Amino acid sequence: MASDQEFDDQSDEEESGVRDGRRRTMTSRPKDRGQARWEEAANRNWELQEGADGSIEGVLGGLEEASKRKRYYSWNWCGRLGLLLKDTTPLQRGIIRHTLLVFDISSAMNEKDLRPTRHLLTINYTIMFVREFFEQNPISQLGILGMREGLAIRVSDMSGNPNDHIAALKLLRATEPKGNPSLQNALDMARAALYHTPSHGTREVVVVLGALLSSDPGDIHDTIKVCVRDRIRVRIIGLAARMHICAEICRKTNGGDESYYSVAVDEVDYRQQLMSITTPPVLRATDTEAQKQNQAALLMMGFPSRIVEEKPTLCACHGNLTRGGYLCSRCKAKVCNLPATCPTCDLTLILSTHLARSYHHLFPLRNWVEVPWSRARQKGSTQCFGCLSSFPAVPAQYDGGNGGEHGKARARTKRAEGASESSRYECETCGSHFCIDCDVTCHEVLHNCPGCQSRGHVGGEEGAVVGG
Amino acid sequence: MNAVDATDRAATQEEVEAPSLLTIILDTNPHAWALLADSLPLSKAVANLLVFINAHLAINYANRVAVVVSHSERAEWLYPTPADATLEQAHSNGDGENGNRAGTGGAVQPPDDANKYRPFAQLEYAIMTNLQRLMCTTTPAAISSAPSTMLAGALTRALAYISKQSASTNPTTTATTHFNYSDPSSVAGGNSLNPSDDTTTTSRSNQRLTTRILIVSVSGDLAETYIELMNAIFACQRLSIPIDVLKLAGDPTFLQQAADTTNGIYLSLSNPLARAGMLQYLMFAFLPDAAARERLVMPGEGEGVDFRAACFCHKRVVDIGFVCSICLSIFCEPLADGTCLLCGSHLSMANYGQKPVVVARPKKKGKKKRVVDGGVETPGSGRETPAPG
Repeated sequence: MASDQEFDDQSDEEESGVRDGRRRTMTSRPKDRGQARWEEAANRNWELQEGADGSIEGVLGGLEEASKRKRYYSWNWCGRLGLLLKDTTPLQRGIIRHTLLVFDISSAMNEKDLRPTRHLLTINYTIMFVREFFEQNPISQLGILGMREGLAIRVSDMSGNPNDHIAALKLLRATEPKGNPSLQNALDMARAALYHTPSHGTREVVVVLGALLSSDPGDIHDTIKVCVRDRIRVRIIGLAARMHICAEICRKTNGGDESYYSVAVDEVDYRQQLMSITTPPVLRATDTEAQKQNQAALLMMGFPSRIVEEKPTLCACHGNLTRGGYLCSRCKAKVCNLPATCPTCDLTLILSTHLARSYHHLFPLRNWVEVPWSRARQKGSTQCFGCLSSFPAVPAQYDGGNGGEHGKARARTKRAEGASESSRYECETCGSHFCIDCDVTCHEVLHNCPGCQSRGHVGGEEGAVVGG
Repeated sequence: MNAVDATDRAATQEEVEAPSLLTIILDTNPHAWALLADSLPLSKAVANLLVFINAHLAINYANRVAVVVSHSERAEWLYPTPADATLEQAHSNGDGENGNRAGTGGAVQPPDDANKYRPFAQLEYAIMTNLQRLMCTTTPAAISSAPSTMLAGALTRALAYISKQSASTNPTTTATTHFNYSDPSSVAGGNSLNPSDDTTTTSRSNQRLTTRILIVSVSGDLAETYIELMNAIFACQRLSIPIDVLKLAGDPTFLQQAADTTNGIYLSLSNPLARAGMLQYLMFAFLPDAAARERLVMPGEGEGVDFRAACFCHKRVVDIGFVCSICLSIFCEPLADGTCLLCGSHLSMANYGQKPVVVARPKKKGKKKRVVDGGVETPGSGRETPAPG
């Protein structure tokens, strides 16, 4: 926990600075909190309490489970210290995305507070991000820009092929960060790149800013106004500290929503924020601008089948001799891999599986709730429904089934926030109990609930919608 | 230490093959099996399957197997026996001490037979007992209400089990293409930043549990659970689990795509003669595991795959479809009133037969109207890609 140690050092300096006989008062902190936000998140091993049977095994298991669950629930601070679970209400999301990633390649990226340097770490994370992005959004397009020496440079053009971007990023490792970043130039170049994108897709810009300044040739507020008019949504990840201009850009282009600007605290947090961009953004129904210009359109797309030929023929996209490929549904030109735009007739060619890959964003799996001992006793579950691993047995003190024991029972075994005391997690629709590993798997990888799927026509799953 | 008795113990460990977990999903849709009763009854198919499982276990002593059955209204475990079944078994047998074990198939005791290899006997007894219990507890109402099978449910349960087994036997997570969900630093495609890293290194194979899924399917229509089935298939792709499909009857629908996406094998036995040789197909096509498949010529590679989609309005197979940009539903023809059937949003319909851009349009007064909705709109925005007129 390197970042925790850094914070400890800062507090030590603060205390030594005030050391003239006075104890540090609470006036430097906001009135409603006794502790700083970072202190609450710090790991206090000496405060673990033993469970009813005298061992800390249960408590440690609880901490581990809480940390696993935390990884996929997004932290949503609403003023006070609060944990909101990931929003799983089905929302309208922009599935066809046109995203531009803007890097900071200024001299501030030579800092070594994120190892090995901010620049190299950013490139490594971005390579993972590109792969994940195209896996989650197969019909989207991505482009990469950089800010260096006050100019905006083009690292790779908008395309739907991840290998182009990864090759360009690898070349970028050799470039040394230099100069100052310019947000205005970057936004102007992004606007130009997104000018020709069709209106039924989203237009997003993601900026990774490590510097604490922006040296612009003109008035950045004009650029912000033009971006708002072009419906470009800007999202900024800061690496150093919070800046007012960044908050303003994000707020104005996202219609007053403050949550699109965030500063990464350490490497893990940085990575999580970058990966959370792969989820399609929510289209707000209250956005009157969007409603006026009707964004939804009916797109004509082709669904080719794969053919295998006896003799090799030329493909239309590269001009290579290949023995197989996909034939465009309209003009029968051969393309090598999908998704692609037919080079001859400009028809978008995709597989139905590419569309299906985005369905879990539109119909997300609801969160599962923690199961207290009383419910575990009531249900009598001994094995996880998904993986058949056994649960810890209900302790004897709960066998009485006495409702009045509730308050006392809670105080006795206190597990970490977010973890279930009985290690069971229940799906509210079908009532099956699962272990923590199945919880994480089903919500992150599978997006299906085994219980709802295995009991026909009992749960109200959204799968019935598609059948119509 | 090794030099004391002149043996080199380190070398022997690398020659051990990786253990393999084979998960079989058996489709027991009673309607479909009734249609096949004259050429391949269910009892004969299960007998063939048991021989196949014994062969898989015999290849490597560390191999494991799991069997899920996908029935008409539920998906149940046949092996390992789930705990509830163990309790019922114990009560019916009057066997008190086995009732408390929340075990994984160990509490169901087969009758002692000295001539049978014990793991085979145990497995066969567990599968037959659980299958009989499943059939006995099926009500006529359940069969008539659900004409199809719960394949998505069976696949989901199998995947949850596989993830747990893989995670518990593979502690190493560095530089693998397996997506380890409980490791915060893992991502699809692997942690290695070099895309050309081939991680099937033999030095690691002896620790890794290779997994694959075999689906024995007889049903056709799977359209109701399309989304869930697709989610499961993509999860298999992410976890690098090949899905092999043995189709005895019914339309290929999505299973052919599933096998293709996950690098599995798809075999269809369409006539009774082929079905009679089911065991031979199982042994020759589906027995080799991932390492062996690289060195063999596997069947089903020479054929093309039908990827065409089915439209949501009429369930027709389409080559060119119209896709709603909000909910991604596919339609076979432009909608009459411009409203998406699924999400109800109003869609702007482009002129799909318009002339290409290179042809100069005659300047008309109507052109001014297009500029009203936003002066900075791009020339082609809101309109479809130009099609040859």
